[in-house]
Amino acid sequence: MAKGPPKISLPKSSAEKRERSGMTRRSFLEVALAGGAAASGAYISLARDMSAFAQASGPIVIGHHCELTGGFASWGYWHNKAALAATKVINESGGIAGRKLELATEDTESNPAAGARKLRALIQRNRASFITGSVHSGVMLASIPVATEMKTVYFSTGEATEATGERGTRYSFRTGTDTYGLAAAGAPWAYANLGKTWTIISPDYAWGHSHYKEHKAVIEKLGGKVYDPIYVPLDAKDLVPYLARIPQDTEVLFSVFFGALSIAFYTQAKSMGLEKTMRMYSVSGTIEAIAPADLKGAAEGVYIVENFPRMLKYKDDEFHKAYNKLIGTDDVHARETGSDKVNAKSHSWQSWENLFALKQAIEASGWKQKSDDKGAIEALEGLKMANSLGFAQGAKTLRKEDHSGMIDCYISRIENDEFHVKKKVSKEEMASMLPPRYDFSKQPL
Amino acid sequence: MSGLVLALAVNGLVWGLIIALIALGLSIIFGLLDIINVAHGDFFMLGTVVVLVLATSTGSYWLALLLVPVIGLGVGLILERVIIRPTIRQASLTIVTTFGLSMMLQEGVRATYGAQPRRMAAPIEGTIPLFGIDYDVYRIFAAAFATLCLIAFFLFLTRTKLGTWIRAVRHDPETATALGVPVARICAITFGLGTAMALLGGAIAAPITTVEFRTGVDILPFCFMAVIIGGLGNLQGTVAAALLLAVMEGLVTSVTDPTIARIVSLGFMSVVLLVRPHGLFSGATR
Repeated sequence: MAKGPPKISLPKSSAEKRERSGMTRRSFLEVALAGGAAASGAYISLARDMSAFAQASGPIVIGHHCELTGGFASWGYWHNKAALAATKVINESGGIAGRKLELATEDTESNPAAGARKLRALIQRNRASFITGSVHSGVMLASIPVATEMKTVYFSTGEATEATGERGTRYSFRTGTDTYGLAAAGAPWAYANLGKTWTIISPDYAWGHSHYKEHKAVIEKLGGKVYDPIYVPLDAKDLVPYLARIPQDTEVLFSVFFGALSIAFYTQAKSMGLEKTMRMYSVSGTIEAIAPADLKGAAEGVYIVENFPRMLKYKDDEFHKAYNKLIGTDDVHARETGSDKVNAKSHSWQSWENLFALKQAIEASGWKQKSDDKGAIEALEGLKMANSLGFAQGAKTLRKEDHSGMIDCYISRIENDEFHVKKKVSKEEMASMLPPRYDFSKQPL
Repeated sequence: MSGLVLALAVNGLVWGLIIALIALGLSIIFGLLDIINVAHGDFFMLGTVVVLVLATSTGSYWLALLLVPVIGLGVGLILERVIIRPTIRQASLTIVTTFGLSMMLQEGVRATYGAQPRRMAAPIEGTIPLFGIDYDVYRIFAAAFATLCLIAFFLFLTRTKLGTWIRAVRHDPETATALGVPVARICAITFGLGTAMALLGGAIAAPITTVEFRTGVDILPFCFMAVIIGGLGNLQGTVAAALLLAVMEGLVTSVTDPTIARIVSLGFMSVVLLVRPHGLFSGATR
């Protein structure tokens, strides 16, 4: 009897199938998850390695946190121009440690909230390793905690003392002056030469408050009298209600304004004839990006503390001359070639010099990537910068303890629409008058 | 002290008259067209820029002052046709539209004219003693000129055919249409007039304040306060409220400080909104 074909027994159920293959749903998931995790780990590890390799060998990204729009746009224009020009000069001369410098710029909109958000974007999205920062005191003070949290070096370019004072950190630097420095540079001279009874009028925000605090301390220490400050809201258009409150026996009216408020102040103070009864004294911020000629005489006779003389002849060297040429301004009024814009010269040099300071620190410390930040920070602490094209404002030191620039300052008077220097305060004098009040170098990284 | 009180009250009145002119433009635009014009402050800014450009190029502030409202009328007519008309009588939508217009105007001026703030020299120089302070003569002129403009506007509104049509359309657009009033044209002219008044306000204020692309941002809240306290769309009420607010701020400033004065104004507006939600002079609303 012929035998039929052998019977093939088929599994009856999916459970039997799984038994035959030795694979259960649970074990499949376990294998899949383990495989996925291993692959992801490998990918992340590879990506990190590649990123580290790219960071260690590709372009060095430095962020520029800049006021391109909003109330400080007339300053931001020059900070942006200075940073772009410095980037070009650095790259044309071989970059930083042989690597190309890539400048990533974000607009702070002259707004602290937007500025803090844009700073995160610079660090996280643009992968900026260092930041040359805002000139707006509100923005920079809102940014320092963010930069510190993200362990990124942040150079403030504004003047509120707090940035390298009570709100400063190991990551916060400033090559320029602050209100502490400006008070030390100008107030003793103004007290001796202009008058002993002072009234301070300023905008009602961090920068103005900071100036009042620092100047009051200096003047009162010298034996002078300082009246209560007159704070003007940032949105004020009519300043007469504020100017009318200035005590009649004021000898020195110290004004601290910026942009549109400066124009309103000079215009309305002049129209009330205040300059006939008191000496007008101020800091460069009040007349940044503004030509005295455009004020049509309203700023005539005002004393101003400058950080970088507007006229070439008061720091007459090849570096200053070359800097003016590269930035594209004339040597007398700091006006842009081919336009009527005026350089915010006493502040915008920081956006130029900060890039050279970082170049010097990166090259000195052998910085390759983010993990080498400690070395770069230590190199910045106490960094000595020689008078050169990179440091056209002049030789300076970035003091180790409080991360503040010790620079030459100039007390000028506006005469015939020009800034004429009456006294130079050297960086050595500044350092002797400004004992460090904080020591950030001891903070852990 | 009493001198300072009087001086600041007078200064408040002077500034209030200039603000009243600008706020009146805002009020007629809202009253007729239901447009909450967020760009109105930027029209004021445009006035400061245009007067400076014209005065610089022609060498005459007075000629520029005459030309600015004409240019403002033209700008208003064009913007009404291109931007406003598609959203007319949809108040909430007009906020979005005019906010966009505001940004375009600001950034347009920044891109073409620059971000640098400028000073416009006053065409009349000198001071007069006023209750113990030296007061700028130009401000007295500005207040007088603004008063003349306000009187001229109300005369135009009550004594001319066009003014009557504008009031008719404000009162009842459907009936006005039925009676043959060209409503669309009246709407365009009204927007143009409102714009012209803001630019004229800018031209008058330019020698006092600053010429800059953001100048209008800060003027708008005060104008809105005047319009709200005066009664939305109530023209006489707007003028009265602008003067009341400015004088009140001047008086409060003389005894405290200007920041407290602004807080008092805002508090006053809140009370008015609670007690008389249609405005202090609501009897004449619309």
